[in-house]
Amino acid sequence: MKAESAPTRERPKILPSNPGKIGESRPRADGVPKVRGEFEYSSDLRVDGMLWGATLRSPHPHANIWSIDTAEAEDMPGVYSVLTHEDVPGRKVYGMEVPDQPVLAWEHVRYEGEPIAVVAADHPETARRALEKIAVDYEILDPITDPAEALREDTPKLHLSGNVLKEVHIKHGDVEATADVVVSGEYEVGMQDQAFLGPESGMAVPDGRGGVDLFISTQWLHIDRDQIAESLDLPPEDVRLTLSGVGGAFGGREDLSMQIHSCMLALDAGRPVKMMYNREESFYGHVHRHPCKMEYEHGADREGNLVYVKARLVFDGGAYASSSNAVCLNAGTFACGPYDVPNARIDSYMLYTNNPPCGAMRGFGAVQVCFAHETQMDKLANKLGMNPVELRLKNAMKPGDKFPFGQTVPEPAPVAEILERVENMPMPEEEEIIGRDLRRLPGGVSNVTRGEGVKRGVGYAVGYKNIGFSAGFDDYSTASIALSVEDGEPIIYVHTAAAEVGQGGVTLQAQISRTELGVENVAVLPADTRIGSAGSTSASRQSYVTGGAVKMACEAVRGKVFERVREEFGDEFGGELSMEDGSVLAGNRRIVALAELLENGGIEETVVYRHKPTYPLDENGQGDAHFQFAFAAHRAVVEVDEELGLVRVVEIATAQDVGKIMNPQSLEGQIQGGVAQGLGLALLEEIQMKDGKVQNASFTDYLLPTILDMPPVRMEVLELADPDSPYGLKGVGEPPTISSTPAIVAALRDATGRELNRVPVKPEQLAGIEGEPIRRAPQPGSRGPVADDLGSEA
Amino acid sequence: MKPYRYERAEDISGAISALADEPEGAFLGGGTNIVDLMKLGVSTPDVLVDVRRLMSDDIEETEDGGVRIGAAVPNSDLAADPTIRTRYPALSEALLSGASGQLRNMATTGGNFLQRTRCVYFQDTTTPCNKREPGSGCSALDGYNKNHAILGSSEHCVATHPSDMAVAMAALDAFVVTHGPNGERRIPIEELHRLPGDEPERDTILEHGELITAVELPPMGFSSNSKYRKVRERASYAFALVSVAAAMDVEDGVVRDVRVALGGVAHKPWRATKVEEALRGEPVSEENFRAAAEIELSEAEPLSENAYKVPLARNVMVRTLSDLSGEGR
Ligand SMILES: Cc1cc2nc3c(=O)[nH]c(=O)nc-3n(C[C@H](O)[C@H](O)[C@H](O)COP(=O)(O)OP(=O)(O)OC[C@H]3O[C@@H](n4cnc5c(N)ncnc54)[C@H](O)[C@@H]3O)c2cc1C
Ligand code: SF4
Repeated sequence: MKAESAPTRERPKILPSNPGKIGESRPRADGVPKVRGEFEYSSDLRVDGMLWGATLRSPHPHANIWSIDTAEAEDMPGVYSVLTHEDVPGRKVYGMEVPDQPVLAWEHVRYEGEPIAVVAADHPETARRALEKIAVDYEILDPITDPAEALREDTPKLHLSGNVLKEVHIKHGDVEATADVVVSGEYEVGMQDQAFLGPESGMAVPDGRGGVDLFISTQWLHIDRDQIAESLDLPPEDVRLTLSGVGGAFGGREDLSMQIHSCMLALDAGRPVKMMYNREESFYGHVHRHPCKMEYEHGADREGNLVYVKARLVFDGGAYASSSNAVCLNAGTFACGPYDVPNARIDSYMLYTNNPPCGAMRGFGAVQVCFAHETQMDKLANKLGMNPVELRLKNAMKPGDKFPFGQTVPEPAPVAEILERVENMPMPEEEEIIGRDLRRLPGGVSNVTRGEGVKRGVGYAVGYKNIGFSAGFDDYSTASIALSVEDGEPIIYVHTAAAEVGQGGVTLQAQISRTELGVENVAVLPADTRIGSAGSTSASRQSYVTGGAVKMACEAVRGKVFERVREEFGDEFGGELSMEDGSVLAGNRRIVALAELLENGGIEETVVYRHKPTYPLDENGQGDAHFQFAFAAHRAVVEVDEELGLVRVVEIATAQDVGKIMNPQSLEGQIQGGVAQGLGLALLEEIQMKDGKVQNASFTDYLLPTILDMPPVRMEVLELADPDSPYGLKGVGEPPTISSTPAIVAALRDATGRELNRVPVKPEQLAGIEGEPIRRAPQPGSRGPVADDLGSEA
Repeated sequence: MKPYRYERAEDISGAISALADEPEGAFLGGGTNIVDLMKLGVSTPDVLVDVRRLMSDDIEETEDGGVRIGAAVPNSDLAADPTIRTRYPALSEALLSGASGQLRNMATTGGNFLQRTRCVYFQDTTTPCNKREPGSGCSALDGYNKNHAILGSSEHCVATHPSDMAVAMAALDAFVVTHGPNGERRIPIEELHRLPGDEPERDTILEHGELITAVELPPMGFSSNSKYRKVRERASYAFALVSVAAAMDVEDGVVRDVRVALGGVAHKPWRATKVEEALRGEPVSEENFRAAAEIELSEAEPLSENAYKVPLARNVMVRTLSDLSGEGR
């Protein structure tokens, strides 16, 4: 890359002051700069002469486009480029699994906020005004906003392929099985937002030779690059990506947002172009967690042994495919929960609608079904008169059992153990209500109760999920390790394309390298596309897959080091060779310092690491689809103000098997953050949709939990090694989000006795005060009179 | 954002004349509301006249035993003031339950009264809204209206006033002192904010260019027995679903006098006069409080998504009154 095409300054190599070895708590390399405001996020990128890009989006969720007139915008002073679908040089659609999403819309728009045109101008405000000058002639169509409606035969088709994006049917054992004790229910999960704090942003820089460099916050550089190159009609090597500071992701950065747009504008204008969404635009700029409706039936014998599970899952995929296919499959495979279920029939549907596209979010399909299967287990326990934990223990899956999708449950699968652990953890003390600090009452400092009407409840849930990419996907990562000598000291350079999105991957890579090669100084180079793909920072997979690649590359380097040692010193050492403290040892004896050994040249090795293969499901939904499973259990203690419906989550207790604790502090962060996101889904977070339009695209109206809403998290961590994975580790990022939500809702049910079949739970549901509307709504926009039959009710 | 001119007025008359010939001009207090609305394209003033420095930021006791609060007093200072905390605790509690520490440091007393509704359609210039664009229609009537009004709304607008502070001021019988092109006025808080009627674009009775310079709290023997309670969905940093400010004078188990105002239920801080009338002279009891609350709420007209506010308002009123009467459970 030419120097002048780099933004502001050379990106510093991240040198963790003391990365420690694996198993040690080390502060994250990016932690202090972030807290001090010195971390360079992608939204901070700046270079002389750059232009600002902006996006014209459809205000309608469903419309035909008859014409787009950009003439007036093009004539505005300060405007350098105005582009529409006609200007997309290559493939006009993109998508990770199914390329069905227009880079810029033509003929149709299928969701509110769909991009139609992009502009580059000398100032963001000029760009915004230019957007106002673009005339689009729409024919507004009725949006299809209910997946059940989309599924009906007579509903118009949103895509040529029809409205059913994907269906997965799992038939396990006797699908007609009957049982003595049956419980059923309908459950619903609302649309959650990833709500990462750093909105979508990046900068594209033309290289003057037809290619482009993109500095971007993303989860997967290579899949971005491949999609951009297709649409720009450039060979992949002419599209170079460098990861810029990422402000959170949680799945919301797996799909493209402004990547192709900024590159098109930069190439057209011949100037660097920066794009940066604001919070409102960010709600339209990324996919969300799928809303889902689920019908369940569980059958058991009178002793509480599960006989069968039947489930019908209907997901709202929104307007375009994103990663919905995989979510549909995942949800189907995990629909029964971590239980030994002899017979099952699961039907999982993913529908196209005119709602915002939904896709990856932490938990990826397992979150929705966990809310349903755990509620069902509580219902069943209730009907059987059994303790809900006991019922779960009785049915907990064990290694050697069969998953409903036919795969054998591998070692370790400590479902019973984590449940027992959360049950046996000490309960938070039940503090006297009178005289309590307000912050420890529902409603907190809002001063709403002195303890009147406050009830306590306890709930349990357990969940599980696959780690990494499944069902036959070629899942791999690439790492390069260079060991050399600088200023008389050995130093390791680690290079991968793995995106650090805040999970602590950079520090982990340094810890692994230091552990493997016994060298103090480790520099982790910026992630970019000069090296091969690392896959996505999602599916809790990077510690496993990129961690595995770094470890394997270190082993290759170590092999080369030992070769050199043998070349120079023979191979009679009376002890095994090892690397420690910058030297090569034989047993306890120092053979040679690396500084000396590598004086005349370092060693560099690049490897590609793959985990064991997975296979697609067959027509009965059977197959070895996944390669690793992670389990967590949660116990929630809540206090509910029964009259006002306010909740204080007193404590979350959790037990999780992580295989191997790589960095205790990072692990704690993952568990606490995952619980916070699960709490948000249980109590607060929902994108409100009306007729295909987002109603609350701001953080004043989309409510995230604050630090005051977060309880202390009591955790126990198991280290049951996975024999196949590097160091025996398991992915840890997602399990904390999966069963925390149903545990909290179970506790709310325990406190209030209410059904609560939908999350997020609203205060009025908890207080049983939903009430009846009285004012009749006139037609939209009318100033018509109010219906005159206004009753009165208090 | 539309370009605008920034001016700093030297004194009150300068501020008033600065807006006299600027029908599209506006005053700037702490800017925590108007600047956001300008970024959203909802407010489009040609000129902003900064009045923060020219108004008093003092809190003084008056001769009659009341308190006079300069319009430039920041929300955080007002909340922390010892006189306010002891003699008007509901006001202090209301302020502290609003926004965040940083915002309260910037927000002024005058600006707080005049903050605009948080109706999502009001803030979204792509949707119809009679308040923002008279005659365009009200999107909230059959839209996302869970946060909207249950009392005193009209078919033209069902928005709520978002201020916590103003609810406490309503219960405390405050007066707003203004200076405008037509001289000085002393407006009872009850009259400052309007119901939407068929002119929802007007939040208050203030004329263009009329400046709030101070707020006066009259002496009220029992205002020290006052509280503010706010129901919101998370523990902090959220607007009220419903809130209540109340003050009560109790002797020998009988309500001698009482003030109640509700927030989050109407286009203005809702003074619950029917509750007050029903309770004066009555023995304190939870049943009486409940009955009184129900009289006030019998006129409620909930919308498709906010019917919960009726029982919620009742419950939080009963609780607050019980607490003030010493009958708290
Ligand atoms: C994220 C967020 C959360 C919030 N949460 C809450 C909450 O929970 N509860 C709550 O009550 N409030 C809340 N607020 C609102 C906050 O209280 C108001 O923004 C603030 O009080 C407004 O005061 P200001 O001085 O900044 O007003 P400005 O923004 O400066 O002005 C507001 C309006 O008043 C006019 N004006 C200002 N001063 C005068 C004057 N002296 N005379 C005449 N006109 C004047 C201006 O022209 C403008 O129209 C929140 C705000 C934000 C941004
Ligand atoms: S309620 Fe009022 S502010 Fe909201 S859309 Fe209707 S008219 Fe506008």
